[in-house]
Amino acid sequence: MRFLLLFLLAATALSLNAADKAQSAAADLGLVKVIMLKTMTAQMKYDENEIIVRPAEKVKIVFENGDDLPHNLVFCQPGTDTMTMAMKQMEKPEEAIKRNWLPDDKSIWLHSKMLNPHEKEELIFIAPEKPGDYPYVCTFPGHALTMNGQLKVVPMGQGLKDLKFALYLGNWTKLPEFAKLKPHREGVVPNNLIDIQLDDYKNEFGVVFTGKIDAPRKGKYQFYISGDDGVRLLIDGKKVVEYDGIHPSGSIKQEAVQLEKGEHELRYEYFQGGGQIAVFAAWKGPGFDMTALSAWQPKGWEKGGKSKKKEDFAPIPIMVGAEPVIYRNFIQGAGNRAIGVGYPGGINIAWSAESMNLALLWKGAFIDASLHWNSRGGGYQSPLGYDVLKPTGEVTPAFSTAEKPDAAWPVWDKTKRYEGFAWKGYTLDAKRSPTFRYTWQGAEIEESFSATGNGNKPGGNPTLIRSIKITGSLPANAWYRLGAGAFEKKEGRFVAKDRLPYSIIAEGAQMAGQNLVIPAKVGMLTITYQWAQ
Amino acid sequence: MKRFSLFFALCSPLLAADPAESDFYKITTFETPKETAMEVGSIDLLPDGRLIMGTRRGEIWTVSGAGSSDPSAVSYKLYASGLHEVLGIAYNPKDKNIYATTRYEVTRLQDVDGDGRADVFDNVSDAWGVSGDYHEYAIGSRFDKVGDLWVTLCLTGSFSSVTPFRGWALRIKPDGTMVPTCSGIRSPGGLGFDADGEVYYADNQGPWHGSCTLQHLVPGSFQGHPGGNEWYALAPNMGPRPIDPSPENYQGDNKRREAREGGDPGRMVKERERIKQLLPPAVYLVHGKIGNSASAIICDTSAGKFGPFMNQLFIADQSHSNLSRVFLETVNGIKQGVVFPFRLGFASGLIGGRMDGEGRIFTGGSDRGWGARGGKPFCFEKCEWTGKTPFEVHEMRAKPDGFELTFTQPIDAKTAGDLKSYSMREFTYAYREAYGGDEIDEILPTITAVEVGADGQSVRLKISPLTKGHIHELHFEGVKNTAGHPLLHTVGYYTLNEIPAK
Repeated sequence: MRFLLLFLLAATALSLNAADKAQSAAADLGLVKVIMLKTMTAQMKYDENEIIVRPAEKVKIVFENGDDLPHNLVFCQPGTDTMTMAMKQMEKPEEAIKRNWLPDDKSIWLHSKMLNPHEKEELIFIAPEKPGDYPYVCTFPGHALTMNGQLKVVPMGQGLKDLKFALYLGNWTKLPEFAKLKPHREGVVPNNLIDIQLDDYKNEFGVVFTGKIDAPRKGKYQFYISGDDGVRLLIDGKKVVEYDGIHPSGSIKQEAVQLEKGEHELRYEYFQGGGQIAVFAAWKGPGFDMTALSAWQPKGWEKGGKSKKKEDFAPIPIMVGAEPVIYRNFIQGAGNRAIGVGYPGGINIAWSAESMNLALLWKGAFIDASLHWNSRGGGYQSPLGYDVLKPTGEVTPAFSTAEKPDAAWPVWDKTKRYEGFAWKGYTLDAKRSPTFRYTWQGAEIEESFSATGNGNKPGGNPTLIRSIKITGSLPANAWYRLGAGAFEKKEGRFVAKDRLPYSIIAEGAQMAGQNLVIPAKVGMLTITYQWAQ
Repeated sequence: MKRFSLFFALCSPLLAADPAESDFYKITTFETPKETAMEVGSIDLLPDGRLIMGTRRGEIWTVSGAGSSDPSAVSYKLYASGLHEVLGIAYNPKDKNIYATTRYEVTRLQDVDGDGRADVFDNVSDAWGVSGDYHEYAIGSRFDKVGDLWVTLCLTGSFSSVTPFRGWALRIKPDGTMVPTCSGIRSPGGLGFDADGEVYYADNQGPWHGSCTLQHLVPGSFQGHPGGNEWYALAPNMGPRPIDPSPENYQGDNKRREAREGGDPGRMVKERERIKQLLPPAVYLVHGKIGNSASAIICDTSAGKFGPFMNQLFIADQSHSNLSRVFLETVNGIKQGVVFPFRLGFASGLIGGRMDGEGRIFTGGSDRGWGARGGKPFCFEKCEWTGKTPFEVHEMRAKPDGFELTFTQPIDAKTAGDLKSYSMREFTYAYREAYGGDEIDEILPTITAVEVGADGQSVRLKISPLTKGHIHELHFEGVKNTAGHPLLHTVGYYTLNEIPAK
């Protein structure tokens, strides 16, 4: 019954883009949902990574910094890459410091101050009207990777109306035939949410809720229930799903029913033996996702009754210090024999011992090992940094023979190896930087990389220089491909078109159709990769 | 309450006398560097006494002082990092280099500048496929007696082999040549040698495997899982592809776990008659009783420094976090033998293991992906003999009409000579594509006679019937030594592939 006011609020349209607006509109309203959120000591985490609210619900978050480092709480629009957003600040650190590490980003609609250790702040606001997952994050440098969560705006009670309750008294171990019993008390439920709010009875009672549920169209609907103790849901007088007997409210029961478009009679029966009191109901149907019909929901209820919990691992970022760091594993975009190298200064590559070619290069952080260092270690890990470049096709060799260099290059077949190539290994120099070695036909190839500039810093002009030494003999019509796709020649450099801008510089390079190539010759070849400034 | 304390006071001398595994074999858990999770995947010895360990996280560490009686004397140095799961590590006495078996490559590592860290990483062989599936683990051996390295390759998942040589054992010659050596492998957990240098691997319960097994890698043999047999097309040295395990015996619809009603899946013993390359497991490591996830194979080559079990094999288990003990013999040209429980209580799931010349077993592993009884996410430990000899069945040999047991200590003739001190049960597993399987075809034979040997340390049991292909589960609860103590472990599981003629 205490949610009544919030329904009235829902009618008030609010701009969600301006955090201040959201807060001031909420300030003069009385009832709020209070949520406590705290940062944990020395764990770089919030104590909750999920907050569930109703659309346009008035919410107060009491945010407390329990850690010994400064932290903030920044809410963004759904789909925001908060990690990238937080990291982008490093491009202009002087400005970011002036803003106390609050990113200048349009997707932010609510935020706290940067709290010093053991400070507290209350945020009062109207939740967004649009259902969705609104990420929240700490934007202090280096915190976003682990210190984040989702504010879930979930429509609740949508579709239920004219909800009434009837209270029965009795001592049961199973749901009784309520129809044969006389109600002790009856009334309406103004907020149209299934909820037990009795001040006078704690044990040995039953409640039957009746109301109308509006199926937006003809189709199959799933109903979910749970309770402590027995619960049963009926539509148009027919039992849909039941979870009878004395039990805790942990598991969710689920059944489907075919409904015609329009209003249907909903009946929800509940009995309480003793102890905890809990009722839960939700539904899902054509065109809409899990929607709660009760004021309370068990943890993880949005996933329904049957689905398994997806494993989510805490990140294990591989840190690059003064020396290059190597990480051989399955890397997204670099195949099954990938060799990741993180160079000091925030420049990283993934080299493929399948195609004997550079597969990826990127800026910023190197890689997160948590996918491979948890559980059984499968799956392809994407780079942890940003501005990922893939100059040629996925796991495609650079060398090929072709009459004309605009020919199609060989493409990767996961089940086969490229013929003519042999992987030899790598050698680390005095600075622990690898030189990769392989052979192609009669040629021996060694290639090494040097990184200059800084990929972690704005204006750091990160540059990757690739040196390739070819000895032995090459077959006729041998070409070396530097890039695939459209490149525009500008002042001696080839600038990637229609995608993340970057340039490739190599003496003698030429465009041939969609291939940026160079005739393969014994000797040295130097290729420079530069992200656009 | 008073009554209880009196009861305990009375009992404690008796309890103290009851032998426990820890009285004989002591486990020491080492602290490991805080900056990593030391998920030991493989261990070998360096000539200077240090250990070299590869981990699931792709690191290689050199370890000093692990042999010391003071566990805090241990120290670690990172030799290499960033490799793709090091589930095989080997020091090569010929070229003095380190060889690591990783997901898709045998790598030779060299420390040219002598700073204790590897700086040259040569591909010795990458002559097998890798599809990106998590299941495709590669387990490597140490160097065998002729200087080859063995690699066993897990299938792609439990059933199939989507890239070359998944489900095979390969040998890598010193020049890097790869020789396809055995087919039929499912999910190897470890590779090791017996005292004669014969090569074995441990396979895991799953399709075509009712239980984990210890299997003898005889070149040219088919080890039982046909999932990778299409690669005979790439292995002319192996001869023609074996016929598949029998569809006549297997009446199910060949889908997972869906045996057709009334159907009768095959038996290893029957299929051996048809499939000439099929080699039965040397020892079934009975599922749920010995372990659930067999891994390292460690031979006691310490000539007595590890106690009385010279030349026997110790099999680690990831799930049960334990070591079991295997005695093998050769009957009609085939390896077979018995497995006994040996030592429980390691801190995490064991994966890698190696004994040093002083009879110390170094082992370790992790629980991730499958879970382990040990309880810790990873561990590096040492298991040593305390110098006290446990009263155990030492060896169990098959005889034409029964078994011969030898003991580690003189036995009490009265209890050892009493039929009631023994009981036996025989069973097998279906040889079928469906995952795992029950103990089936149970036979409760009669122990018709028991005779204590003249040496006072052995018995001969006559059993009727002996069943070829069955596991013979022998309990010997009643046997006592001359001091009146019972056996430390009272069960052994003998895999009777062959019944000897004499």
